[in-house]
Amino acid sequence: MMETIKQISLILILCLVLNACSSDNTSQEFGDLEINFTNLVGGNNLELNTETYAKNGDETYSVSELKYIISNIVLTDNNGNQFVYPQAESYFLINEAIPQSQSIKLENINANTYTSITFGFGVDQSKYPLNGVDNFVPTAEEQGMLWSWSAGYKFLKFEGIYTSGNVTDKPFLYHIGSHGQNLDNYREITLNFLQPLALSSSETPEVNINFDVQKIFNADFALLLSDKDDIQIDPENAPKIVDNITKAFEIVLN
Amino acid sequence: MRFLIFFIVILTLSACQNEALDESYENISDENEVQENVFLDLNIPSNFPEPTYEIENNKPTQAGFELGKKLFYDGRLSSTGVISCGFCHIQDFAFTHHTHIVSHGVNGALGTRNAPPLQNMIFMEDFNWDGSVSHLDAQPVVPITTEFEMNESVTNVLNKLQNDEEYVEMFNTAFENDTIDTRNMFKAISQFVMMMVSTDSKYDKVMRNEGSSFTEIETQGKTVFDQKCASCHVGTLFTDQSYRNNGLPIDPQYNDEGRKRVTGEEIDKYKFKVPSLRNIAVTFPYMHDGRFPTLRDVLDHYDSGMVQTQNLDEMFIQEDGSLGISLSETEKEQIIAYLNTLTDDNFLLDDRFSEF
Repeated sequence: MMETIKQISLILILCLVLNACSSDNTSQEFGDLEINFTNLVGGNNLELNTETYAKNGDETYSVSELKYIISNIVLTDNNGNQFVYPQAESYFLINEAIPQSQSIKLENINANTYTSITFGFGVDQSKYPLNGVDNFVPTAEEQGMLWSWSAGYKFLKFEGIYTSGNVTDKPFLYHIGSHGQNLDNYREITLNFLQPLALSSSETPEVNINFDVQKIFNADFALLLSDKDDIQIDPENAPKIVDNITKAFEIVLN
Repeated sequence: MRFLIFFIVILTLSACQNEALDESYENISDENEVQENVFLDLNIPSNFPEPTYEIENNKPTQAGFELGKKLFYDGRLSSTGVISCGFCHIQDFAFTHHTHIVSHGVNGALGTRNAPPLQNMIFMEDFNWDGSVSHLDAQPVVPITTEFEMNESVTNVLNKLQNDEEYVEMFNTAFENDTIDTRNMFKAISQFVMMMVSTDSKYDKVMRNEGSSFTEIETQGKTVFDQKCASCHVGTLFTDQSYRNNGLPIDPQYNDEGRKRVTGEEIDKYKFKVPSLRNIAVTFPYMHDGRFPTLRDVLDHYDSGMVQTQNLDEMFIQEDGSLGISLSETEKEQIIAYLNTLTDDNFLLDDRFSEF
């Protein structure tokens, strides 16, 4: 009997000790997430070059190029807990001409049920270089998203031709970024999931986000191409464009 | 049996501790690596401000510095393989392109601005004549990718470095993650450039009471300078780091709008960075476009050469409506004598920075 008690207590002690030991590394489960961006005009897929679209102010336009930078992805659960995706890996260039670029996969996210997603439009240059954006240089450079003279990023590159009044098929060009320390056109956008998004090691959910191209011209501010068709380093109009863009994203499926 | 239990508990506990032991072992090996890759001391003297560069995020090491130096002097950063950073930034002239009015790039291409000196960059808030770059670690992308400078892509540069065994080894020694990427390349160049502090001129020795004193004409020059120049060329760095229009006639060849290019603001048109005056005697020619070959020409401009253009700084408009800062011939000589005390031979001849 004594022997049995001793054996039991030995096992108990061992269990306790081992358990104490493993409490350091409670196994956090991780999962992946896929986000698909779709660029739309008025509910239809954007067609580069071939389609002509009507916009505010009786203007029509077609798009030859649409690229933008998505960054700093953060997921939030309903208790307000945030999962910040590693910043250095959190830069994505969505290019309408490259279908693969419109689908981004995030890996090793803490398994949890999330209720909203926050992401940046552009690059938060105020946090440079802590944001690890340097390694995004080659991607941005290859796709013409760098201003070589300023070491800055174009957050949006949007080009095409437009017709307005007496003007026919004239080129337009919006290149929007931040400049120096005074003109910050980086914006953060938060979207609620349609239903809580359960993320686990066995489930890789997909989230579809639409980007409504029309809103670039017309959301908080109505912009006419006939007023200005070349907007780049423009402290008046560039912020209007990024403000409009904060209204252009919408989750349609998750 | 009691002994057995005790023994097992000890065993288990020590198994438990393995992780902690491993950690301390790693710490020891880290320290060894640190010893291999020695941290460098910046030695910022008492008469200098706190650096704006966050040194803690990129502490210069011997290996990082050597790597940065190799990159700085490597022509392969350009498309033609011959234009290095050091091509336009020559140490003997405080890292300017000596006697060149504007910088020269690949295949003889001409830039539009005078290559600025590289010195005391860790104290600067932003970079270039128009402040187009707001962090030292981002600066290399400008000369590398500008058509009339190195005309190369960062991607191509990285490919060249990755195919070079010497670079592979040097990046391994300099950076913990052993990776040749943009981040490490720019950090290495910053480590080299951040060590370029010019703090040992005669002026500094006088200010720090290190046994030097100004001559009579230098003292007179300091008095005039403090009265007429030091509101912009202020303090130890000899710049308030602001952007101003100093009344240069617009050069129709470039029609350079200066800071407006960066901010898009009309009020910034024709404004350029107030440059530091350290080593000014060796950084000729002067102004953003190198239009003045001598300091005398510069002072003549301030005295009598200014023209009224958009955004001319108000301090140059006198009560009677005349433009500029009146300076007598004697005062000009005195100022130049004083500015000569800002030449720092220990910096200009420092072997650590020299190409060969």
